Amino acid sequence: MNDSSAVQFGAVTIVLLLVVFYGGTYAISRVIRKKKENADEYMTAGNKIGFGISAASMTATWIWASSMYASASSGYEYGVSGPIHYGLWGALMILFIYPFGKRIRSVAPKAHSIAEVMYARHGRSSQLMLAGSNVVGSVISLMSNFIAGGVLISMLSPFNFIQGVLAVAAGVLLYTLWSGFRASVLTDFIQVMAMLGAVAVIVPFIFFAAGFPAAFETGAQNLTPAQGSFFSSEAFLGQGAPYIAAVLAYAIGNQTIAQRLFAVREDLIKPTFLTATIGYGAMVIGVGMIGVLALYLGFEPSNGDVNNIIPEMAASYLPGILLAVFFVMIIGALSSTADSDLAALSSIMMADVYGQNVAGKEKANPKTMLFIGRLTMILASAVAVAFASLQLNILDLLVFVGALWGALVFPVLASFYWGKVTNKAFTTAVIAALVIFIPVRFELVPLVGPLGILVDILSAVGIAVILGLMSFGFFGLRVAKIVAGAALLLSAPFVIGFLHDYATLSASLVAYAVSTLVCYFMSFRQKDDFDFSLIRKRTGDFDESEDEDTVVAEAADAPGAADRSAVAIDDSPRSSGGSASVPKKEDN
Amino acid sequence: MSVGIVTLTAYSLVWPVLVAVVMTIIGRSFFKEWKEAHDEGISLV
Repeated sequence: MNDSSAVQFGAVTIVLLLVVFYGGTYAISRVIRKKKENADEYMTAGNKIGFGISAASMTATWIWASSMYASASSGYEYGVSGPIHYGLWGALMILFIYPFGKRIRSVAPKAHSIAEVMYARHGRSSQLMLAGSNVVGSVISLMSNFIAGGVLISMLSPFNFIQGVLAVAAGVLLYTLWSGFRASVLTDFIQVMAMLGAVAVIVPFIFFAAGFPAAFETGAQNLTPAQGSFFSSEAFLGQGAPYIAAVLAYAIGNQTIAQRLFAVREDLIKPTFLTATIGYGAMVIGVGMIGVLALYLGFEPSNGDVNNIIPEMAASYLPGILLAVFFVMIIGALSSTADSDLAALSSIMMADVYGQNVAGKEKANPKTMLFIGRLTMILASAVAVAFASLQLNILDLLVFVGALWGALVFPVLASFYWGKVTNKAFTTAVIAALVIFIPVRFELVPLVGPLGILVDILSAVGIAVILGLMSFGFFGLRVAKIVAGAALLLSAPFVIGFLHDYATLSASLVAYAVSTLVCYFMSFRQKDDFDFSLIRKRTGDFDESEDEDTVVAEAADAPGAADRSAVAIDDSPRSSGGSASVPKKEDN
Repeated sequence: MSVGIVTLTAYSLVWPVLVAVVMTIIGRSFFKEWKEAHDEGISLV
């Protein structure tokens, strides 16, 4: 049953599938190709994409190949509640960040990255911290997706791992290079349709082909009581809780999500995030059910590697045509995230490195920006392929980036709501959190005695911060304080003296706690209150050549045009003069 | 079939149904926006 080598594609079939998939996406990207690309549209598609594309793109970007493999692994390891503890929390994070997304968009409607907004809010060090973490995170994500593609192709065809990696990297680069983010979001629609369609068919097919629902009865003895429970605390502590801490950080810190936030029409942010929440949750939990079915069947993945569960279950129970659909689903999942990473990396290099720090916003040349964006994509792909061939431990790298983003969450969010947060407080808070995180995560010092207790106390504070932030987005400061206080009091008895044994979870929570405490105590006595309207003036289009006429015409036609066009002129980074466009060194 | 088996079956198969619903919503919106963009002669993205 587990012998997947018996169900393989021939070289011609796999080449044909890749040519159809990548050729199709390339043909789609050709439809929107412009002779003269606009630099801002290359980064955020002009901040006006509709619901259908934005919801598809948000869903596709949040789902990567690892989401499916990890959800199935969670189902296989933790039983019936396993996929929920992977997919539900990941989905809810999309929901939890949408109120923050609305706020971010309202203060910086035409920005290209959160890092760019941090430059406008604080200055260079905050911006470069966020941009740097995103470069590292996106390269790792890119590498991880290339590895997933290489493994899949080598498992289901005569081609080897490196050939698979190269095929995926070349395919993604082919359709993303010219039109950047515009190509990424448009092809995301096709890719997400392929993924959703595949899950809607493949999961029920495997379910019945494998002998379910009868196998729930015959295979029940393969599950422990915890695996058979919908309310397994083991599943929550082992999978759900660490994941909540990690994905909140990913959702806030990751430029691929921020880029879509800045691209969607402002009034469509809520339905976009809601749809992506349900789409992501249903799809990832649905795929995770394959792991649960495998557990009931007593299925043993090759070499005990849980990452083989999905491809081997597919190879065992799907006929050739559906196996091809499955192949397209996985290639679609990894390609949609990989193209988002390329678009994110290019926009960071274009807007944050070149636009804000090398040329300066006033002097940035849109043509040079486009050249830098495309060059970034090529170099990033080459670096990711090189690292993929080394087959580094991705999980360790991802955990590190997750913690880095965990250290950024409070300072970033507070910077959008609280005028007292300073650049110094932001930077110090993030560095302090990382300094404490590293020895805890890698257990460089023994976490025993008072040190272990201190880590546990900070972990309880970290839990309070995470739950407080989630509540704050929806219900405001008062409720957030009550929730955070209750979380601290209720979690402390369970956490103190216990949690430091779980280094990964403790380290993430400590990163949240330390960054919050340092940021708060360095800011609350500040007398200056930042004027958030400055952010709108300091961020905006780099390439206004094609949009000017349209904007003027729309402003003139709209009701109350005289008032609003005056504001628009005042808000324009180009017309507002140097003082409004560039934050001074000592600015908040 | 026992209640437990029915529950597990529903729990396993509800996700593909939800996926199909989301797929329909996204697909319909996309084609509506595509038609509007086409009628107005502007690019979809």
